Amino acid sequence: MTRALGLCFMLLAGAAAAPRPAAAQAAAPVLAQGVRAYDDLDLDGAAGLIRRALSMQGTGALTPAEGDRALMYLAATELLRDHADSARAVARRLIVANPRFRPDELVFPPQVLTFYEGVRRATPAVIGRAPADTAIRPGTEALTVRLYASTFHDVTATLARDDGRVLRTLYSGPVGDSLDLHWNGLDSSGTAPPPNGRYAITVTSLDRQRRAVRILRVPLEVTQGRVDTLPHPAPPADSLLLPERQPMGPGLRAFAPAALAGVAIVVLPGVVANGEDASGARFVVGGTVTVAGLVAFFSHHPGRSIPANAAHNRTLRDAWRREDADVARRNAERARGMLGIRAGTPVLLTPEAP
Amino acid sequence: MTRAVVLVFLVVTSTAQAQSGWKVSFGVSGGPEIARWRFGTTRERVSGLVLGGEAVAARGHLVARLRYGQGRVTNDTAGRDVAEGEALLGYKARPWLTVWVGPHARTFVVPGQSDRRWLFWSGRVSARGTLFPGRVESFVDLWQGVTGSLNRPAESASGGGAEAGLVVRLARHPVWGRLAYRIEQGRATAVGRRETVEAVTLTVGFDR
Repeated sequence: MTRALGLCFMLLAGAAAAPRPAAAQAAAPVLAQGVRAYDDLDLDGAAGLIRRALSMQGTGALTPAEGDRALMYLAATELLRDHADSARAVARRLIVANPRFRPDELVFPPQVLTFYEGVRRATPAVIGRAPADTAIRPGTEALTVRLYASTFHDVTATLARDDGRVLRTLYSGPVGDSLDLHWNGLDSSGTAPPPNGRYAITVTSLDRQRRAVRILRVPLEVTQGRVDTLPHPAPPADSLLLPERQPMGPGLRAFAPAALAGVAIVVLPGVVANGEDASGARFVVGGTVTVAGLVAFFSHHPGRSIPANAAHNRTLRDAWRREDADVARRNAERARGMLGIRAGTPVLLTPEAP
Repeated sequence: MTRAVVLVFLVVTSTAQAQSGWKVSFGVSGGPEIARWRFGTTRERVSGLVLGGEAVAARGHLVARLRYGQGRVTNDTAGRDVAEGEALLGYKARPWLTVWVGPHARTFVVPGQSDRRWLFWSGRVSARGTLFPGRVESFVDLWQGVTGSLNRPAESASGGGAEAGLVVRLARHPVWGRLAYRIEQGRATAVGRRETVEAVTLTVGFDR
């Protein structure tokens, strides 16, 4: 007897400890029961079952698609139960969660479809989809966030710091079915990426009175990559540049021998024949030599510009400047580096009930 | 002696002409010359025209030069003939620098008296500078007598001189001209004689 009781206890304990897969899928069957109740026009039962299915959490909870379907059936049920306010609240919840949802026209009666369409048009909201983890080259590439709208309305999209300060306004205007938001990875100056940190793309839906009715916040985590820059090209070497003006050197080299000879003619008589008064004839020769030297000096046109050489040098310098500017531009691009962007789960906030 | 030097030089230059690699040039010159004597307290100044000629032969770094001039210098009271010449052998240490050695002589001939001749063995340096390449050059010559003598009265002598000027060559023609100023002084200190000669010389020559 004692052994039989022990065996029974172990079986019960084992049964209690065993996993229960049925519980993990509990919401879906309950939803199915609710839908059947709706089809049987057991509206009270349907409302209860569907609410029960929606309230289930954890691994047995409804999938997003099942949740959308459950909310639609619940809205239809409440409408048919003449609970218009409740139906409107449920429909609004569905629209905010999935603006793209449209009820099946073969399943729901026109009365429900019309009601849902009216609520949808009166409920401006957007949801956004951004790549979870991506990298862009600031200035040349862009992060794209696709917005889906419940209805045509105006939105304002900004990039803000984690503390709420707006960094850039990405878009301001109407949105119909969908809209792509682009952020090129640059800050408000438009020249450099923002420092590493947490940011958020905030999309504010506005009603017809331009009041903020909903705010979609897509958190971003921005990380800059390492930068390798190119060396700037060296300016043209002096050996490549041609003189742009006639130098003084050749002229002076031509004048110097004449000057030396002229001075020698004037001075040497005093050295060679000290004490004698040399005749003035030497000045004729000395003057002639000096004049010849001056003619030689000016024949080299010292200081005169050389247009061909100036053009040659200008070509070299322009080429160098272009190359330098190109390197500077490429370095600026590299300085921006690759910007890593990690997008978090979008959050939809409702400042006040519409 | 001058005639012997001229003869030797002509032999050399004519031989040089017969061989390749030699450059030879000839020139004729003329110009006023002023000579001053100082002998004790006696001073005398004469001037006149001196005409002459020269020949130069060069090969590689070696150069030989012969100059000879002759004329008459006078003043209000006296006149005398003058003959002067030099025979130099030079070495081109640089394209612009030549070093010379050789005799340098000048003789004054006074009617009724024996000739008075200065003779120096001199060392000389010539420097050339280009004003217009191949066309115009300036030059400066400096010389100093290593040994020297005066024949009347017979004394040893010292002396030196300088010459500077301009050489112009015609384009595409082997003709050249030279304008030069020259001053030389010989001193026989034992007898108190000093003689200074100045000359402006215009030379026209040609290269062969």
